[in-house]
Amino acid sequence: MIDFLQNTLDGLALGSSYALLALGFTLIFGVLRRANLAYGPAIMLGCYCATWAYLKTGIGLLFLALIAVAGSTLAGVYVERLCFAPHRKGAAAAAMVASFALWMQFEELATLALPRHLYAFPALYAGGPLSLGRLTLRVESLVMLVAAILVCAALWRILYRSRFGTAVRAVIDSPAAAELSGISVSAVSLQVFALASAIGGLAGFLIVSGNEQVTPMLGMWSTLKGMLAMMLGGLGSLPGAIAGGVALGLREAHSQWYLGPQLRDFIAYLLLFVLLAVRPPWMNTRSAY
Amino acid sequence: MDEYAIGVLTNIGLFSFVALSAWLLLVAGELSFGQQAFFGVGAYAAGIGTAMLGWPLPLAALAAMALGAAAAALVGLPTLRLRGLYFTMATLAAAEMLRILFELFHWQIALGDERIGPDGTQGFRGIRWMLERGIEPLDFLAMVWILLIGVMVIFLRVENSRLGATLRALGHDPELARSAGIDVDRLKLGVVAAGGALAALGGALFAHHNTYIEPRNFDIMLGVHSLAYGLIGGLGTAFGPLLGVVLDIGVLEATRSLQGYRMIVFGGLVAVLLVFRPRGLLDERVVHWIRSRA
Repeated sequence: MIDFLQNTLDGLALGSSYALLALGFTLIFGVLRRANLAYGPAIMLGCYCATWAYLKTGIGLLFLALIAVAGSTLAGVYVERLCFAPHRKGAAAAAMVASFALWMQFEELATLALPRHLYAFPALYAGGPLSLGRLTLRVESLVMLVAAILVCAALWRILYRSRFGTAVRAVIDSPAAAELSGISVSAVSLQVFALASAIGGLAGFLIVSGNEQVTPMLGMWSTLKGMLAMMLGGLGSLPGAIAGGVALGLREAHSQWYLGPQLRDFIAYLLLFVLLAVRPPWMNTRSAY
Repeated sequence: MDEYAIGVLTNIGLFSFVALSAWLLLVAGELSFGQQAFFGVGAYAAGIGTAMLGWPLPLAALAAMALGAAAAALVGLPTLRLRGLYFTMATLAAAEMLRILFELFHWQIALGDERIGPDGTQGFRGIRWMLERGIEPLDFLAMVWILLIGVMVIFLRVENSRLGATLRALGHDPELARSAGIDVDRLKLGVVAAGGALAALGGALFAHHNTYIEPRNFDIMLGVHSLAYGLIGGLGTAFGPLLGVVLDIGVLEATRSLQGYRMIVFGGLVAVLLVFRPRGLLDERVVHWIRSRA
């Protein structure tokens, strides 16, 4: 029982990082109906900028977080302009492959700047884990959980309580109708890309400072996990992205404990495959690009 | 020809098979992130055939193709009705499942004083049919390209046939194709199985070229590359994916002076190219223009 509770707690912490990644992914998907393969690599590039700054100057964590977020946002904007803005009408395959090409670019940039396979990243919190009775909880996980909740709340405010949010939701509903009512779809896409990449950058910073290391694999990992969580939660729905992320985290923590890492991943893909084949009602399989 | 040039040309040939299989699905209107898995199925099946069961390579390659087609059909059946990103994700999920199965696959037999066979993440070494038969790299290169030319001849013949037109109709709009009386499900399943067989043939040759394979060879990077080859080269003709492979492997190898900046230059070029030519260099319009001149 105590194992089960501990796994659930670990799963929640892991799930909140997936939920953050999925939120960014889903925002982009909702507005553009395109999968951005360079989403994770942009986050990785931001984290590499922070690592580079840390190695050169040794500045504090808060600055590193800002650099990670700023770096990811800039990379995201670059991806939007080069891969998605030109392919807004049709050509979904071209947009996806172009974003893959930029992924390759980002990965090479990162390894050029910092050629070793693995770099240490300053820890978010130096002390040991908190104990709650017989359960333990890492402070990093707690920060991740709180950050996920805060980002969700802020995002909700932006999307449902601001002019910009109204425009974003209008574009999600129908880009043509939004354009006709005077919304610049191009500008909204760019802003949403920047916002999503900033959320991703924050998630990336929390993940690498929690793990106390950074590798180029972070790029592919973030894209895959964000995409998986988004698919599990239905497609293009923000509450769904959070639910999908948490569900993915819980399932991973439990199956890792009972079955080991290889079967853990196998089950993740099997679940996704079966869900896609069976198409439960919350997965609207008609609406993908 | 020096050894280096032979190696590059062989690689171009080998990866053309998997690029063609991704291109075939692309023409039929679907993006697959999963062709690398069938390449892997072919590599493992053919390796087991020659190195463990003592079969000749042609027999092992045929078995690999059958297995690749069967695996692809198995993935294709439950996903026939999926469109767009859903189909793409389903193929990715299936391919990753197969890759993990390769990691869990242990089956070794004692041959002489060594143990041969797939050993999980340690890979599968000792696929030495070529060395044992004394087949030179140049002969192998000729073999790969003859097979590839054979495949290309089939592709170009299909292109000008009723089947080719049906395929393009399916890729253009499946609903419209269905209402025009095309059996969309059967056609799509056929395309998926043919793609699987083609990728498996490439994998079988790859295993015998490298003599060593491991699950990591068949990860998503290979899948996305194959897809990119078809799209860069162009959707208008089966020469498209070949051109994509030549540009990537050829340009990458030719620009070794750019070592370190290669992917930065190449990645940027691909993204810019797709802005102007979203259906690749040899798209339908260019192919039509060339045909009208010929």
